This record gives sequence, structure tokens and C-alpha cells, in this order.
Amino acid sequence: MTFFSRLFPLLVALFASISSASAAGGHQLPLYAESPFEGTFFSWVSNSMIMVWLAAALIILFCRAATKKLSLVPQGAQNFAEWLIESLYDFFGNILGEHLVKRTFWFFGATFMLILTVNYLGLIPGVGTLGTTDSHGHFKGLLRGGNADLNMTAAMAITFFALWIFWSFSEIGAKNFFAHIFAPKGKFSGVMKVGMVVIFFLVGILEIVSIFIRPVALSFRLFGNIYGGEQTLEGLMALVPQSIAFLPALPFYFMELLVGLVQALVFTLLCAVFLALMCDHGDEEHH
Amino acid sequence: MILILAETGTEAAKQGFFETFGVNWPFFIAQLINFVVVLFVLKKFAFTPIQGILEERRNRIAQGEAKLVEIEQQLADSEKEKAALLEKANADAQRLIAEARDSAQALGDKKAQEATAQAQTILSKAQEAARAERAAMSAELKQEFGRLVVATTSKVTGKTLDDADQQRINSEAVASVEA
Repeated sequence: MTFFSRLFPLLVALFASISSASAAGGHQLPLYAESPFEGTFFSWVSNSMIMVWLAAALIILFCRAATKKLSLVPQGAQNFAEWLIESLYDFFGNILGEHLVKRTFWFFGATFMLILTVNYLGLIPGVGTLGTTDSHGHFKGLLRGGNADLNMTAAMAITFFALWIFWSFSEIGAKNFFAHIFAPKGKFSGVMKVGMVVIFFLVGILEIVSIFIRPVALSFRLFGNIYGGEQTLEGLMALVPQSIAFLPALPFYFMELLVGLVQALVFTLLCAVFLALMCDHGDEEHH
Repeated sequence: MILILAETGTEAAKQGFFETFGVNWPFFIAQLINFVVVLFVLKKFAFTPIQGILEERRNRIAQGEAKLVEIEQQLADSEKEKAALLEKANADAQRLIAEARDSAQALGDKKAQEATAQAQTILSKAQEAARAERAAMSAELKQEFGRLVVATTSKVTGKTLDDADQQRINSEAVASVEA
């Protein structure tokens, strides 16, 4: 307890100094992605988009290498790809059930791999630090962590939201979908039943609100964690002279490696849980 | 971190929300298309073939297991069959041995009986021959004895004996010898 009471003020002081150092000196990672090609035909290409492309290309190249010569006795890349896919399949299968995971695994597997790769690519030195400074002193990074862009995280969350609605309707039907949200849970009779109908209707409205908040929460959770991590690393580097700038950030790189994995897991895990919660009845019927 | 978020919140409140976070249609739609394309490509070129091979391997393992059970069953059946055959062969062999033993016993008995019968025949023939020889010898002896008695009597009495006397003396002598 004493240890934490001593550590907490130190941490607050550290982050306060990071914040002030970032704000005052050096360049600060902006909240938004920018186009390094502004004023050209490619102005719709943002610096985070380039990272997503790189990550996608890496994953696709790896998958092509792994599936080029598929054999029943796996070797090399195929062995690793099979291990990864089978582990993820079992992991999501435990949440979604056998029927649902067979149908939806491609989304969860691909999303996990993409988020993880994008997160790790964002930690490569140069990402967020290499760029140009214009005449107004505004720094524009050539590359930016893919998930440090709300456009990317929102695109993933909204894609999931659309798929969630489609999968839910096709699995349990519109009637069960709305019954799941509004129908009273449990058996009631008489006045109690009327009261419960009113209560569960109001709860259903709250549930609808929470359903619409889910993609927002998913987007901001991933964006906030990755952007916060990058900001922390940059802030720590700004605390010391440039020749040893890597030193204070070094321990936090290991933490960011963990955060990158955890955030990929959290995003996909929450998506899987949302889907499982809605399709629970449908899955039972399938069994 | 808290201070960064607080600063961000203040900044967002000052400017428009979307402007603060750089959310705009071109970037958003481009990222959306990126994501959907990545999903599609990974589904087609990674998950489908790898899951296919995993499924194929799972099926092969299941088939292998089923075959193993079948082979084990066949092995058990063949073991049973082998044991039954061995038992039958053993019983047959025992029966054949018993039959051979009985047959040998019967043959031995028969041969022994035949040998006994032959021996008996030989013995009776020998007895018969001995008896005949004895009778012949006896007859010859009697004839010789009679001739000797007649000769002796003739020499003692000094007279020539006629055939009737010889016959009588001979008969008496033989009778006295037989007595």
C-alpha cells in the first residue's frame, strides 16, 4: 500500500511532464490522420491508410506463402498459419458455439490479425516521427499507426455492426431479435405482467441505445489505447535530449507490445460476445 | 494519460467533434473499403483453404479412428476365429490320436490273437506230430520188443516157433509192457 501511495504521485508527475513536454517542445502527434499527398489526386490516402495497406499486404503475403503448397503434413509457414487459425478458431468457438463460429470466424480471425499487425507495425521506429514540417511549423507524419486513426477503428466497428445485425436477423429472425430486446424475461401474470412489460419496454429502449453506442465504444477504445500509447512514447522521448531519446521510451515499447495484443483481443472478443449474447437462443435451437 | 485525455476532451469541445478526430468521409470510406477488401481477401485466400485443410485432416483422423476401431474389431474376430480353429484342430488331433491308438490297440490285439492262434496251431501240430511219432516209436518198439521176446523164447526153448506161437508170445509181451 505504501509502495503504491509513493508510486502514484510519481506517475502523475511523469505523465504531467510528458503532456507538457509534448505540448511545449517538439512535435506532438495530432489526434487525426493526415494525407501526405495533400493537393494531389491521392489526397484521399491518409498516412494511417498506408500503414493499413502495409499490414494487409504483409498478412496477405504471409497467407499466400502459407497456403501455396498446402499439404496434410504441414511445414513452415503453413504450420504457423494453421496453429494461429486453429487457436483463434477454438478461442472464438468457446464464446460463439460450434455453429456460429463456423459461420463468422472469417470476420473475427481476419479482424484480429489485421488489428494485431497494424498495432505492431505502428511501433516500428519512424512511424509517426518521419515526415515533413511546413512553413508554419506544422509537422505532418508520412506514416501513422493504423489504429491511431478514428476513421479506421470506426470502419471496423461499423462493419461489425452491420454484420452483427445481418447475422442476428438470419440466426434468430426479426421476431426473436426484438423479443430479445423488449420481451420480459421470466414468467409473470396479472398486474405484475403489465408492470414488467412496461419496465422491459423501457429497458429495451436503453438496450437499443446501448446497441448503437457499441460501435462508438469499440472505435474509441481501440483508437484511445493505441493513440495514447503512441503519445506516451513520443512524450517520453521528448523528456530527454535527442541523443538518448530512445531510453525512457524503451520499457514502454514492451508494454505497447502487450497493449497491441490485448487491444486486438479486446476488440474481437467484445464483438464475439455481442454476437453471442444476441444469437444465444438461435444457437440453442441449432443444437 | 489522464491529462492527455483531458486535453483532448477540451480540444474536442472547442472544435467540432469530427474535425477534432479527423473523421471525414473520404478517409472513412477509404478505410471501410480497405477493411472490407482485407476481410474478403483473407477469407478467400487464407481462412477458406486453411480451414479446408484442417477439416480434411480432421476427417482423415476421424476416418483413421473409425478404421482403427474396425481393424481392432477384425483383429478380435480373427483372434476368436483363430482360437476356434485351433480348438477344433486340437480336438480333431486328439480324436485322430485316440482313433489311431484304438486302431493300433485293435490291430495289436488282432495280431496277438492271430499270433496266439498260430502258436496254438503250431503247438497242437507239434503235439500231434510228437504224438504220432511217439505212437510210431511205440509201435516200432512193441514190434521190436515182440521180435526180441520171440527170438529169446525161441533160443531159450530151442524150438522153432510157428506163426501162431509167435503171435501169442508177441501179444503177451506187448500186453505186459503196456501194463
